[in-house]
Amino acid sequence: MDPFFDKSLQSISRRHFLFGSAAGIGGAALSALMGGCSSGRTSLEMAMDPMAPRPAHFPGNAKSVIYLHMAGAPSQLELFDYKPELQKLHNQLCPPSLLEGKKFAFIRGTPKMLGPQAVFKQRGESGAWISDHLPHLASIADEVSFVKCVSTDQFNHGPAQLFVHTGSARLGRPSIGSWVTYGLGTENSNLPGFVVLTSGGKTPDAGKSVWGSGFLPSVYQGVQCRSQGEPVLYLNDPEGIDRDLKGKMIDAINGVNRNHFQAAGDPETMTRIHQYELAYRMQIAVPEVMNINNEPDYVHQLYGTAPGKSSFANNCLLARKLVEQGVRFVQLYDWGWDSHGTDESLAIDIGFRNKCREVDRSATALILDLKQRGLLDQTLVVWGGEFGRTPMQENRENKSMPFLGRDHHVEAFSMWMAGGGIRKGVTYGETDEIGYYPVKGKVSVHDVQATILNQLGFDHEKLTYEFQGRPFRLTDVAGKVIEEIVS
Amino acid sequence: MTILLLASCQKRPNSIDFSTQVKPIINKHCITCHGGVKRNANFSLLFREDALDTTESGQPAIIPGDPDHSELIRRLTLKDPEERMPFKEPPLSEVEVDILRHWIQEGARWGDHWAYVLPKPVKVPQARNLAGLISDDSWGNNEIDAFVQQTLQDHKLVPSVQASKSVLLRRVSLDLTGIPPTSKEAREFLSDPSEQAYEKVVDRLLASPRFGEKWASWWLDMARYSDTKGYERDVYRNIWRYRDWVIRALNEDKPFDIFTTEQLAGDLLPNPTDDQLIATAFHRNTMNNDEGGTEDEEFRVAAVIDRVNTTMEVWQSTTIGCVQCHSHPYDPFRNEEYYQLMAFFNNTRDEDTEGEHPSLRQYREEDVQQIKAITSWVQQLSGKEKAREVEWFLKTLEPKYHPHDFDQFVNGELIDTKWLGIRSGGSARIKAIDLTGKSSLLINHRTRSVGGYCEIRMDKLNGEVLASIRLDTVKTGRRAISIPLKTVQGKHDLYFIFKNPLIKPDQSVSDIEWFAFRGNDMRNDQMIQREFLRLVNTKVDNTPIMVENTPKQQRPTYVFDRGNWLVHRGEVKASTPRSLNAFPKEAPSNRLGLAQWLVSSENPLTSRTIVNRVWEQFFGYGFVETMEDFGTQGALPTHPELLDWLALRLVNDHQWSLKKLMKDIVLSATYQQSSVMTKDYVQADPTNKWLSRGPRVRLSAEQVRDQALAVSGLLADKMYGPSVMPFQPDGVWQSVWSDAKWEPSAGDDQYRRALYIFQKRTSPYPSMMMFDGSSRDVCQVRRIRTNTPLQSLVTLNDPVYLEAAHALARIMMKAGATPVEQIKAGYERIFFQEMSQANVDILTILYGDGLKAYQSDRVLRKSLVKDSNNEEAAMVLVASALLNLDETLTKQ
Repeated sequence: MDPFFDKSLQSISRRHFLFGSAAGIGGAALSALMGGCSSGRTSLEMAMDPMAPRPAHFPGNAKSVIYLHMAGAPSQLELFDYKPELQKLHNQLCPPSLLEGKKFAFIRGTPKMLGPQAVFKQRGESGAWISDHLPHLASIADEVSFVKCVSTDQFNHGPAQLFVHTGSARLGRPSIGSWVTYGLGTENSNLPGFVVLTSGGKTPDAGKSVWGSGFLPSVYQGVQCRSQGEPVLYLNDPEGIDRDLKGKMIDAINGVNRNHFQAAGDPETMTRIHQYELAYRMQIAVPEVMNINNEPDYVHQLYGTAPGKSSFANNCLLARKLVEQGVRFVQLYDWGWDSHGTDESLAIDIGFRNKCREVDRSATALILDLKQRGLLDQTLVVWGGEFGRTPMQENRENKSMPFLGRDHHVEAFSMWMAGGGIRKGVTYGETDEIGYYPVKGKVSVHDVQATILNQLGFDHEKLTYEFQGRPFRLTDVAGKVIEEIVS
Repeated sequence: MTILLLASCQKRPNSIDFSTQVKPIINKHCITCHGGVKRNANFSLLFREDALDTTESGQPAIIPGDPDHSELIRRLTLKDPEERMPFKEPPLSEVEVDILRHWIQEGARWGDHWAYVLPKPVKVPQARNLAGLISDDSWGNNEIDAFVQQTLQDHKLVPSVQASKSVLLRRVSLDLTGIPPTSKEAREFLSDPSEQAYEKVVDRLLASPRFGEKWASWWLDMARYSDTKGYERDVYRNIWRYRDWVIRALNEDKPFDIFTTEQLAGDLLPNPTDDQLIATAFHRNTMNNDEGGTEDEEFRVAAVIDRVNTTMEVWQSTTIGCVQCHSHPYDPFRNEEYYQLMAFFNNTRDEDTEGEHPSLRQYREEDVQQIKAITSWVQQLSGKEKAREVEWFLKTLEPKYHPHDFDQFVNGELIDTKWLGIRSGGSARIKAIDLTGKSSLLINHRTRSVGGYCEIRMDKLNGEVLASIRLDTVKTGRRAISIPLKTVQGKHDLYFIFKNPLIKPDQSVSDIEWFAFRGNDMRNDQMIQREFLRLVNTKVDNTPIMVENTPKQQRPTYVFDRGNWLVHRGEVKASTPRSLNAFPKEAPSNRLGLAQWLVSSENPLTSRTIVNRVWEQFFGYGFVETMEDFGTQGALPTHPELLDWLALRLVNDHQWSLKKLMKDIVLSATYQQSSVMTKDYVQADPTNKWLSRGPRVRLSAEQVRDQALAVSGLLADKMYGPSVMPFQPDGVWQSVWSDAKWEPSAGDDQYRRALYIFQKRTSPYPSMMMFDGSSRDVCQVRRIRTNTPLQSLVTLNDPVYLEAAHALARIMMKAGATPVEQIKAGYERIFFQEMSQANVDILTILYGDGLKAYQSDRVLRKSLVKDSNNEEAAMVLVASALLNLDETLTKQ
């Protein structure tokens, strides 16, 4: 080893130490100067190795998160929130008391009530209500905890999705996956720390902003891995340059860069050398992890996967593989849950049912597979939408609709979580007789976020980043951990 | 302890400075509970009047001149942890308490934070010698260097040597124009031994049209410029003329005060030109929400709030966002002052409509002449004022009303919460329209069916009929029709009743986008009226602009309770924060006045802000590193005197000329230092805070791309016009509810500079984002530079860079006879200096390895370079390596 090179590396690590601990000294001026904050990284650290693993505030149960978002907002009234009373009111006009002072996205005038379009049963020892739309999930009801009264204040998809994923309904804030990778770094630097997988043919309404890094450095934004085309943008070697030649190119680039480092002495050059080596390894590691061809048949049967297809099932299997390889945060978006009843695919009794079939088996398989591999305890799985659906039938523009549908509903909707230190078989929260308002155990979107961060070992009030002169956090000025579902 | 007590009895030679000694202690230990957010025990340390006021205990906590009887000191020094402050936190150090004690002793004076005090004339330091340090008295070209040298000496540092001519040329070219010089330009400079050679280059660069393009990228981040509207639908916004305005303004070196005024209030200038109106699009870069079911007023308010925050951040380096909900936790801004600022922006015509009204309509030349003819005709008959109104209406379609102004819908509503759609027999009301002098109504409608008509009745559903209109079928798009209106006086509610017996009951009669009430400007001249209507209906290019509400349309501004736009507290009038300079006496109480306040010589923040931002573009860091925040939580300036000196020079000597400011900077010896980091420097000045060497930072996203295109000879010179779509991988755009597609631009447009790339908020151009570009959702004054593996994937594998490598390889092969010569030529094309033998060897080996691979057919050359030979393919590998060197990606 070149002695100069060696020494320089030492000086880098010394520098790293010096500035890395600046925040610990605690001077307000100093930390502001470093652009860092009490629990985050300094700007210098970010320049050196922004993805280096870091401890959280306390030892958390979960090491990684798989977040399954059903974009468009699935109906809780056909899945988990069983309302026999609503059945009795079916087709009756909605009482004015439910409409006064309310704003709906599409309901106008006086709509009719719409009874549950599914058959419900209590499942497992916990007795959780799950409809027969989700037979697979029903079989593992005791692994899962249900939160029945999540409320939001956004009744349009774009802002509501942003709210769920960034803690704010406006563009410009970091997404939860960005916060988590900023806070924890990644265990496997050959893969991106925050991976996004989409299915259903579209990205969510709010676009890539739901996995954007907002004001955090762009290195923390979600990396979309795609099942068609290159798995990650620009990952594939160009045609006419094979692995061996690419390796030789990187050797040459880094050779010249090392000479340059000796001449100019900038530690950033060493970082760049490191990043080129990493990129080379990533080019192998990402396609490997994204390839499901070699999975055994029983795995394909479990998930219902078909290699080469772009599907939610494939994405669930990929999520397991990614987490197994040390990816910190895997975000799945499945599009097509906006069951307004405007056409067959969006009918609550037709299209919605089909969507449930599409996700039920694979989401269940994901939990079973993680459990089999001993990964469930350290992997938090979250399922939900951006809001719920109304107990009233949608009557867009005050007309009757061609199919049965429900409008957007902000007061209460259901989510479930499993693994990662979440209690098993708990149902928390209760809505009124028609599933309109919360009666017990109302939680906010910020509470859900605080809980996710808590499972990873973060005090959500302390995971902050200094921007525009004040510390920002995912949960804004709110959020309380949902203790009832945490073990 | 004894020593400390003794010390505290002595009369101190220097009195305590509030800003640098007391305020940091308060901010660190006290302000969270006793500040602008919380006022525990009714005690706040934000303003002096609050701090000296009676607290909950009935006594004041601070008695100026009497620390021993001041509760503050007592509570800080108690032993009992239940009573001692800070509560449940470690106690203050003895030194800190000592400072507070002295400060109270001296009268508890409230010093001002440096940034809120006007920059004062500063004397340029004289060079001095320090024992034991090498001091080169001859160092320095201008006043900047005198300041820098003084600070260096304070830190026992010496300046670095001057950078080589080739390094300097590349640096200054990238800094001023964003692209490297051409080989010819480099040869001219390198062979010019004269003393003025460098200055000549600087003058050439400052005069280059490329200058405006480089600096526009910088400004457009702050302006949050984007080609789409944002939010869910995120569809196209035609606002590129604003981008072009910025480029032109920078190239013309429009003085920054005028640059400011035109963007904030161009529409309020007397007889504004089209250019001045386009400048106001600065604040039309706010997002617009088209999602079905959204309330326009909510997002209008969101846009206004964004304008307040952006204005304060861009011109004042002040973060005011938190004052929306409560007084500023640290800085002297009160809650209601936020809304007083908001009142300046709360009276523009834009209301989050899908059509993004109002826009400047840009007519073809013959129609411009026609408008002139009509207005002069109106002027002769009805006077100047009427003529101006007609012209303004044709240019902006203002003033007008939107469907969201209606209420009391019967059998109808707003279609997709946007357009008025009433079914047969249904109606809607618009309140309190002043009809005095109105004789006609323009309705912009789309009616697909036959047989529809609309009745307008006054004051009640069965009131007097003011107009009755047949709604002729409009086959495509929308059309405005003009209807005579019965003349009445005063304000009235109007009921619009729609009928069409021929349509299905659930079909709406018509779909209406806007309404405008007009006076009898045309004196019933049929031909002129027809021509007027033709012009209104002419399809033109639109640019969203700011237009102030008419006096009749004024909106009151309220304090929002805890920032909630639906819950109002008291009404406020437009005014600026009290802790800053006074509002100029002659200035109008509107955006124009606000702009005058910002660029007034009494404003302490504007000139420092702009100097700081310009400096950062050259050195990688501002004097104040937190460029977005000059407040008490922000960083302190590293060179406060130099910052003030430059700020005053910009305003007084340079009359706000940014080019002159930049020339001062790049001519300084400070800027021209070598950026080589020796080990000593790394330790003594790791981030180059004290400017002991030249700047060394990674190129910006735009520069990385533009440089690759420039050195490979691909870069297109074409300026201005709609944004372009260069190559982007398939499947990146997948927006919902939108059929917008990324369609690669033809020909040269593929190779335009990065600032012309189509900017979509919810799906930004991937390679820009990977190099830390802004998604332009909100104002961004600082890009944080990262260094990631995904960046290398872009410059190695993105077809854009591969194409550049190929073009560069061809140039290299023409430039030399042997591979070694060719490799050297490639390096020289980027760096204008010879490549070291060691590096030539490394790349020659790469070339050899490539050649072998292609000759052996192990790798298919054809898929890399069509219609060419193995040598060229191998040289592409070398060229790609050159484009990926750390040196290439770095300004050094």
